[in-house]
Amino acid sequence: MGKVFDWLDRQFHLISPHKRFFQRSVPPDLNYTYCFGGIAFTYFLILVFSGLLLSIYYVPSENDAYKSVMIITNEVPLGWVIRGMHKWSASFFIIFIIIHAIRVFVSKAYRPPRELNWIVGSLTLITAMASGFTGYLLPWDQKAYWATEVGTSMVGTIPFIGKYLMYAIRGGAEVNAATLIRFYSMHVLYLPLITGILLWFHFHMIKRQGISAKL
Amino acid sequence: MMDTFNKDKRVKKFYPDYLSEIIFTMLIAFELLIIFVLLYPPVVGRQIDLTKPFQPIPEWYFLWLFKLVGYFHGSFAFIGTVIIPLIFVLLLLFIPFIDHGRYGRIKAIIAGMIILIGFIGLTIFSIL
Repeated sequence: MGKVFDWLDRQFHLISPHKRFFQRSVPPDLNYTYCFGGIAFTYFLILVFSGLLLSIYYVPSENDAYKSVMIITNEVPLGWVIRGMHKWSASFFIIFIIIHAIRVFVSKAYRPPRELNWIVGSLTLITAMASGFTGYLLPWDQKAYWATEVGTSMVGTIPFIGKYLMYAIRGGAEVNAATLIRFYSMHVLYLPLITGILLWFHFHMIKRQGISAKL
Repeated sequence: MMDTFNKDKRVKKFYPDYLSEIIFTMLIAFELLIIFVLLYPPVVGRQIDLTKPFQPIPEWYFLWLFKLVGYFHGSFAFIGTVIIPLIFVLLLLFIPFIDHGRYGRIKAIIAGMIILIGFIGLTIFSIL
């Protein structure tokens, strides 16, 4: 390796713990249907990257949210591309998680000892959908407002605790500025963190248990 | 596929064989994304105007839930909003444990089909 990398390796000891991981042999009967999980992860990385860029311009306030999304779409150089990437990769993320889950199901890879990895993967899908739901409100336009109004009102139908739960999610009786900041915080802090931790579990278990090959 | 070429010579290693395929796949995934971004750029909806009636449309992956909610009214609404989605989620989470015993695989396939057909079927119904 080069001088710079050698220096970094002396600081962090990158090579030795990952040597086994990089030099291990891969089961020969893998095929291209085993790519879908990796593709979903690619879209997750794109989501994080484009989300970080969007957060530079987005303003999560009742009066400025809509305006700032307009500015991102119409005035910021390539802002519409970054926003489009964020929106489309959110859809692709979910599509490829579903396809990946179907592949895992068909190849029976959820069977012991990989039960927990299936559960972690399913939780990732649910977190991804929650991210999609919270992100949908952020443009603060007509469509977003009413979808969130209807979506959160479903929580209100739970017997006994529903009303209080809905109040807690909305931060008030109606969808308002408090809902926006709550959803923003969920969308950019809590849910990406949870997704990141879940994916770390997911990959760590694959690293330790190996790939379940043979379709 | 690569297998046919180096089947007899050596086993595939993660690095460089598999890693190069991963990077290739990531690039294809990125290109697929860029095609969609350029063909269908995002639009911003109208500004919030509470005086005008509006028919809410969720993201496509929540269409099934919106359709499901429409089937139950009044005090039974929580069946559509909570009970059935919860059954879907629990079936999904417990598939490794449903696949247990003699007819385990068949039970798991039935559970998987309920989730998949429920999701796709209700989504199609809501578009129609």
